[in-house]
Amino acid sequence: MTAMYDKIVDILVNRFEVERSEIKPDVTFEDLEMDSLFLVELLLVVEKELGVKVSDDAASPRDTIGRAAEVIEEQAAATTS
Amino acid sequence: MSARSVAVTGLGLVTAAGIGAEATWRGVCEARPTARRDPTLQGLPVDISYTVPEFNAAKLVGRRSNLVHDRFVQLAVVAAREAVADSGLDPRTWDGARVGVVVGCGLGGVSTWEQQHRILLDEGPGSVSALLIPLLVPNMVAGHLAMEFGARGPNFVTATACASGATAIGVATQLLHDDQCDVVIAGGSEAGVSPLIVTGFARMGALSRRLDEPATASRPFDADRDGFVIGEGSGVLVLEREADARARGARVRARVAGYGASADAHHMTAPDPSGAGALQALRTALASAGVSPGDVDHVNAHGTSTPLNDAAESKVLHQLLGARATVTSAKGAVGHSLGAAGAIEAALTVLTLENQTVPPTANLENLDPAVELDVVAKSPRAQRIDVAVSNSFGFGGQNAVLVLTSA
Repeated sequence: MTAMYDKIVDILVNRFEVERSEIKPDVTFEDLEMDSLFLVELLLVVEKELGVKVSDDAASPRDTIGRAAEVIEEQAAATTS
Repeated sequence: MSARSVAVTGLGLVTAAGIGAEATWRGVCEARPTARRDPTLQGLPVDISYTVPEFNAAKLVGRRSNLVHDRFVQLAVVAAREAVADSGLDPRTWDGARVGVVVGCGLGGVSTWEQQHRILLDEGPGSVSALLIPLLVPNMVAGHLAMEFGARGPNFVTATACASGATAIGVATQLLHDDQCDVVIAGGSEAGVSPLIVTGFARMGALSRRLDEPATASRPFDADRDGFVIGEGSGVLVLEREADARARGARVRARVAGYGASADAHHMTAPDPSGAGALQALRTALASAGVSPGDVDHVNAHGTSTPLNDAAESKVLHQLLGARATVTSAKGAVGHSLGAAGAIEAALTVLTLENQTVPPTANLENLDPAVELDVVAKSPRAQRIDVAVSNSFGFGGQNAVLVLTSA
C-alpha cells in the first residue's frame, strides 16, 4: 500500500487505540468500531499531523481504510500542488 | 423493614484516598489527607487539590476511554463497576428495562470544555473535536453507565451543585418506591480540578489559601478553617427495594431510609444564616424515615471547611439534634468533590454503619468554640449507630439530606 496508507495506520494505532493487527486495506472503519464522530476526529488528526487539507466528507464509516487513504492522498495532492 | 425500605446492596468509591471502597475507607479512618500542590494549577491564585492517585483510564476503563470519556465519566465507570460487582447482580442476565441510573454531577466535562475552547480560539473551528459535546455534557455520565450495564430504565443526571450526589440517591429511592425500577445505580461523579473552575472558586473566596501546607488546608469545623480544598471522585451505590434484595439473598449493607430536600431561597452562594432551609430538609428526611431527631446517632456532615458552611451547619445540627449525635466530615481527608461529594459521603456513611465506627475529621485540631457538637477527631471512634444522617448543601441554596440506617 501507499505511504499515506501507512501513515493512516500509524494514526489509527497511536491516536485511536486500534490494534495494528486488525487494520487491513479492505477493513472498514465500521469494522474497527469507528463511527462518524471518530471519522471527523480522524480527519482532523490527519490534517494536523500530516499538514494536509482534507474535506470533512473525505471518509465515512463504511469506507475501507485503503479507499480512505486514496481519497486523502488525492485531496492532499490537490492542496499541495 | 417497611414496605418503603430501600437496601444498599453494592458500593463503589474512587476518591483522593484511593481507588476502591476499601482504600477510601482506610484513608478516611486514618485521617490521612492527600492534598498537594497541583502542577496543572501552577500560577493560579490557588494551586492545591485532592486528586485520585494513579488513575490510569486506559487500563481501568478501557483502551479507547481517553478518546470518548471525560474524566468525570471515567471515575464513575470505575466506581459503578465496583458497586455492581459488589451487589452480586449480573448485568448480563438482569432485566435492563427495570434498571435505572441516577448520577449527580455539578459541572460535567469542564476540562474538555477548557481545552477545546482554547483550540477554538487558537486554531479555529475546523480544529474543534467532533467529540466535544459527547465528552462535556453532564448527562453523558448516566448515558455511559447505561451502555456499560445495559441499564435501560430511567436515566438522568441531577445537578444541585455540591448536593448533586445526595439528590441522586434520594431521587433513586423514589424511583424504587414508585416501582419504576427494581434496581437503581445511583451516585455522583465530578472531575472539576481544572484551571478555570479552580480560579472561579478562588475568585469567590471559597477556597483555602493555606497553599504552603496543602495537606492540612481542609479542616472542617476547625477554628482556623479558611475555605474548602477542591477534590474529585465518584461514589456509587446499588439500590433495591429491601424485600427484593432479601428475596434474592443479597447482602444488605445498609438502608436508605429517608430523604429530604429543600431550597434556602436566600442567596446565590451563602447559606441562610438562620439555617431554615437545611433544617427543613433534615426534618423532612427524618420524617420520611419515620424517626425522630432524638434517634439520630451520627451525622456525616457537609462540613466543607468554609467559615460560613460549617458555622451554619453546626448551628442547625445543634438546634435539631443537640450534642448527642457524633459528627464527622470526610472533606478533611478527601477534599470537596462538589457534585460527587454527597454520594461519596453517603457511601462512607454506609461503611460507618457497617463497621459501627465513626471515621475522624482529618485536620481538626482546635474545634471552633461556636461548634457545639461532638465532632470526632484524630482517630476512629467505635459507636453503636442505628440511624445516621448525611447532609449535603449546594450553591444555589439547594439542600439534600439522606437518612441511612443499619441493616
